[in-house]
Amino acid sequence: MAEMNVPAGGKKGHKKARSKKMSTRVDLTAMVDLGFLLITFFMLATTFNKPKTMEVNKPAKDNEIKDEPPIKMSKTLSLMLTSRDNVVNYVSPDDIDADTQLSIDSTDYSSTGVRKVIQRRQKQVKEQWGNQDELFVMIKPLPRSKYKNIVDILDEMSINHVVRYAILAPNDPIDSLIALQIGESRK
Amino acid sequence: MPKVKIPRKSTAIDMTAMCDVAFLLLTFFILTTKFRAAEVVQIDIPSSTAQIPIPDKGIMMFNIAPDGKMFFGLDDQPTRLKLLSTLEEDYGFQLDDKQRIAFKTLELWGMDIRALPEFLKKDPNERAHVIQPGLKIDTVGGSQLEDLILIARKAYDLEPGRAENDRLRIAIKCDKTTEYQAFDKLIEALQNRKVNKFNLITSAKTAKE
Repeated sequence: MAEMNVPAGGKKGHKKARSKKMSTRVDLTAMVDLGFLLITFFMLATTFNKPKTMEVNKPAKDNEIKDEPPIKMSKTLSLMLTSRDNVVNYVSPDDIDADTQLSIDSTDYSSTGVRKVIQRRQKQVKEQWGNQDELFVMIKPLPRSKYKNIVDILDEMSINHVVRYAILAPNDPIDSLIALQIGESRK
Repeated sequence: MPKVKIPRKSTAIDMTAMCDVAFLLLTFFILTTKFRAAEVVQIDIPSSTAQIPIPDKGIMMFNIAPDGKMFFGLDDQPTRLKLLSTLEEDYGFQLDDKQRIAFKTLELWGMDIRALPEFLKKDPNERAHVIQPGLKIDTVGGSQLEDLILIARKAYDLEPGRAENDRLRIAIKCDKTTEYQAFDKLIEALQNRKVNKFNLITSAKTAKE
């Protein structure tokens, strides 16, 4: 294919019979074609970009209860992951009594949604306690929430440099009230 | 003035170099290729900004399908065999060499451990068409999931000559739409066996501002 028949120029009247010298050139076109075909195959079949992993460390489950001072609720932010692809966020009050008001808000997983909520809360905690790393995010996935949701939230933790966070079962009384309010099951 | 004659050039190109390069690349790809394992179940992983690549070896892999079915896989073949012989003892079944070899090449599986001998007896083509029911996760009569975790870790970590920092790592691959409760069951089983550190497999993306 790559070689075209080109009439040899000049010397037309050469009459002397000579044994034809065979060219040592081999037509490599087909070989190259095959080579590239195989390369393409292996390139496509190979798993080149290895998937990334996200490391999760859970606290050890100890049977003995350690005497740790409870975290002040005013340093926290609770994020409840619902089955409808949204995040219900709220700040639990330090003390609960009859006229405790709790504002709950729901948002999505986008960079303008939950990320803004976390950043706003970081700012508040910084104003109140002088350091934004004091913020403690409590992630409370409901059983019917999606795996993608938990990955997104853990990712937001690393994007926003939240140092202290934990994945917790939505078990305290406020959680159950909120789950009831938004019509989700905790079990 | 003599006419300048431009000699007609041949259109033949010397392809030797091109051929060399092509085959060099070919050799490279053949040697570095690691074929994608046949997928027992289709899993669409979520993306994250995490940048840690998955380790090359020493992985215990759990896959959870969208419907909550769980699958188990070990990447190290000697460990697979050790796991199998312990399972034979603990669950009281006897396998022949053919079944053992079949298990050795099994990348991922998910079924009641007691159903394994029957499954391994089938020929490879037939096996590929079996729809596996997923690991048995209910804990009636002891948790099979916890057994697997414990036995696999023992088999890998206690191998003579294993380096101190070379420990079986746990990777979890879940579908985007898997419900959290299925994932939570696995975490629960892992934590019951004192595994508190594991890797979630995600595909890469960049953080949007």
